[in-house]
Amino acid sequence: MSEYILEMRNISKSFAGVQALKDVSIRCKPGQVYGLVGENGAGKSTLMKILAGAYKADAGEIIYKGQRREGASAGDVIDSGISIIYQELALVPRMSVAENIFLGREPQRAFGILDLKSLHERAAKLTARLGISMDTSLPVSELTVAQRQLVEIAKALSQNADLIVMDEPSAILAGSELDQLFRIISSLIAQGVTIIYISHRLDEVFRIADEVTVLKDGELVETRPIDELDRQTLVKLMVGRPLDEIFPQTDHEQGELVLVAENVSTDTILEGASLELYKGEILGIAGMVGSGRTELARALFGADPLTSGTVSLVGEEGALWTTPAKAIESGLVLVPEDRKSHGLFTSLSVRVNITLPILSRLTRFGIMQSQAERAIVEAARDRLSIVMASSDQEAQYLSGGNQQKVVLAKWLETDPAVVILDEPTRGVDVGAKFEIYRLMRQLNDRGIAIVMISSELPEVIGMSDRILVMNNGRIVGEVAREEATEAGIIELATMAGAGAN
Amino acid sequence: MSLAKTRINPALDANWRLRAFIANYGVYIALLVLLLAAAVLTPKLYAVNTIAVVMRQASQLGIVAIGQTMILLVAGLDLSIGGIFIMTSIVVAEVTNGRDEMVIPAILISLALGALIGAGNGVLVTKRRVPPFVATLGMLVLVKGATQAYTRGVPGGFVPEVLDIVNQSWFVLSIPLLLWLGLNALFIFVLRGTAYGRKVYAVGSNSEAAHLSGIPVDAIRISVYILGSCLAVVSGVVLTGYVGYVDRFIGTGLELDSIAAAIVGGTAFVGGRGGLLGTIAGVLIIQILSTMAILMGLDIEVQFIIKGLVILGAVTLYSVASTEE
Repeated sequence: MSEYILEMRNISKSFAGVQALKDVSIRCKPGQVYGLVGENGAGKSTLMKILAGAYKADAGEIIYKGQRREGASAGDVIDSGISIIYQELALVPRMSVAENIFLGREPQRAFGILDLKSLHERAAKLTARLGISMDTSLPVSELTVAQRQLVEIAKALSQNADLIVMDEPSAILAGSELDQLFRIISSLIAQGVTIIYISHRLDEVFRIADEVTVLKDGELVETRPIDELDRQTLVKLMVGRPLDEIFPQTDHEQGELVLVAENVSTDTILEGASLELYKGEILGIAGMVGSGRTELARALFGADPLTSGTVSLVGEEGALWTTPAKAIESGLVLVPEDRKSHGLFTSLSVRVNITLPILSRLTRFGIMQSQAERAIVEAARDRLSIVMASSDQEAQYLSGGNQQKVVLAKWLETDPAVVILDEPTRGVDVGAKFEIYRLMRQLNDRGIAIVMISSELPEVIGMSDRILVMNNGRIVGEVAREEATEAGIIELATMAGAGAN
Repeated sequence: MSLAKTRINPALDANWRLRAFIANYGVYIALLVLLLAAAVLTPKLYAVNTIAVVMRQASQLGIVAIGQTMILLVAGLDLSIGGIFIMTSIVVAEVTNGRDEMVIPAILISLALGALIGAGNGVLVTKRRVPPFVATLGMLVLVKGATQAYTRGVPGGFVPEVLDIVNQSWFVLSIPLLLWLGLNALFIFVLRGTAYGRKVYAVGSNSEAAHLSGIPVDAIRISVYILGSCLAVVSGVVLTGYVGYVDRFIGTGLELDSIAAAIVGGTAFVGGRGGLLGTIAGVLIIQILSTMAILMGLDIEVQFIIKGLVILGAVTLYSVASTEE
């Protein structure tokens, strides 16, 4: 048997006439971590879906544990010891941790009766193997996102996985949760498990990968051991050009006050949040997932009704809003975190997506002025360099970065005074990230104030003028950019029993 | 842009184009094939009289199907239509009691009651988050029950003679057909050319994103249910004139046929995709199939089997065409 547990040789695949993968080969030894990086649309997910048996390659072969694999179904692949943990976790919320881990493979006694005792014992053994303690009888809906991900890993182990693919596992994690994930990965490779780790966060790749494979436009750029790479080189390989300055800077004085929120609470974890926002600045909001960041954004926007407190724009006296429609009218917009489910109309055209909030401007007696509409969409396409076949193309066929640009374009057309960005660069590749940062600076120069929520601390520190840190539904501290360090923010964000400052 | 072009693989591109073609134009081709088949199997279908009858009947279904399509577009469903037909029929007979001059007031009263029923459906679906299937089924039973309680099982009154006009044709033209065409023209324009139409599609495509885009999601949904009920009233008036007396079972099955016509015409059950042109083709397919079956002397059971097969065939085709590999 060869020294490789997996070899994918000369894999090619096309969809709807577009070549998604062209002649890509990778190979993995047991007990190693392989970083798989590349921009969105580079073919990472397609390659992994072929490995999972979800897609069939047009050409090429897969050799797993020394055997050539032929037409395996997704079930066969799992049985053979390959587990894939997708970004969108596939758990049943109402079922317990143990039931989720053994879903479809529950231990049974005679006549198909569930053996609940053995179910929980085996689940507890698995979580112990991961070095975590968790009540396996809790329903998954009670768990944090990070804990849910651990359940997915336990599920993979229960399937006796020798090869685990993690598709952007860190996108939903922050701080200590990430450390925990890395500890678990270390213990898994010590047990001989192979990990393929897909991530947009290069720091993580450098931290845990033994070898890195870079894909670009469906083709293999290079595979190199991590110690022969540095950050600059890796970015260059991924993007095809160097990114000298990741976070574009501008110099500006603090502007006038534009927005005041006082003692805001909603029927969520959010409690007593107060903040002030000034013209032309970026206010960063840091904190763990579940600390109330998204809830704060929704409260400011009027998407969740306030149970106490007020939000108001300076100069619009008495302009209080209780609905997104009124917030948009007053000049405040929200670009939500979850692009696919909250931001984009995937079955509608790019044109319809972009002009939706400004229909009243584009209609006369309720009738669309299609000339004016097309002009606006063309201008937006040029300004944000949105890549699309035509503005009548359905939004679902755009790449992730371009979808995000469509959502941004939609809001910029409303000519807002305040833009709230909730995780603006999540799932966006390095090149598009840079374009989004630049766009944010352009908005600042126009005097637009930005509230940016992000789990990526380098991004928060690199882009924000001031940073508010949230913990357990409250704002627990404000850090000026000059004083901001990752360690300091994490400390505030994870301090137990933190109250209002 | 040149990058995107160089990556096109001609063979696969053809496959993809075929799928898109089926998804967009499949229903019109199916209609064409059916018309060709009729030329061979039932040439009588092409007699002027037959065409006139087919179009009058298609209009009864078609007017309801406009509303049903719009309700499907906001990811809803309306099963209460059958109750609205009966309500309309009784109101027309009771209010007019055969007097022609009372037709307009009777129609206005029916429209008001219909709007109330539609608003009830809409409020249940939006404010109380009752699934549309359950809410409108409950409304159907409620309205049917209310009409029976009101008439005590023996509907009174007479249908005014003036309504017999719906049974007359001039060549193939008739009042129902003109109504159907006019309402289609109106609502095709509303869906494509107005802000309201955009909002209807947006709500059906992604209601949370629509909410966050400042669209009054609940109000749009409720308004579409009201529209659907009012269109059902219009169809109910036509049906009442067609039957000529108060019938407790008037229009039975049209609620399901209207859903079938929309689905066959390419409107998605999950909302946000489809439109009225497809529904027109769907209505014609269903109506022509029924007429052909009658002309061929097939039993009613066989007609149902054929109708069922056509619906299943259509949705299977759409799902195959839209499946991303």
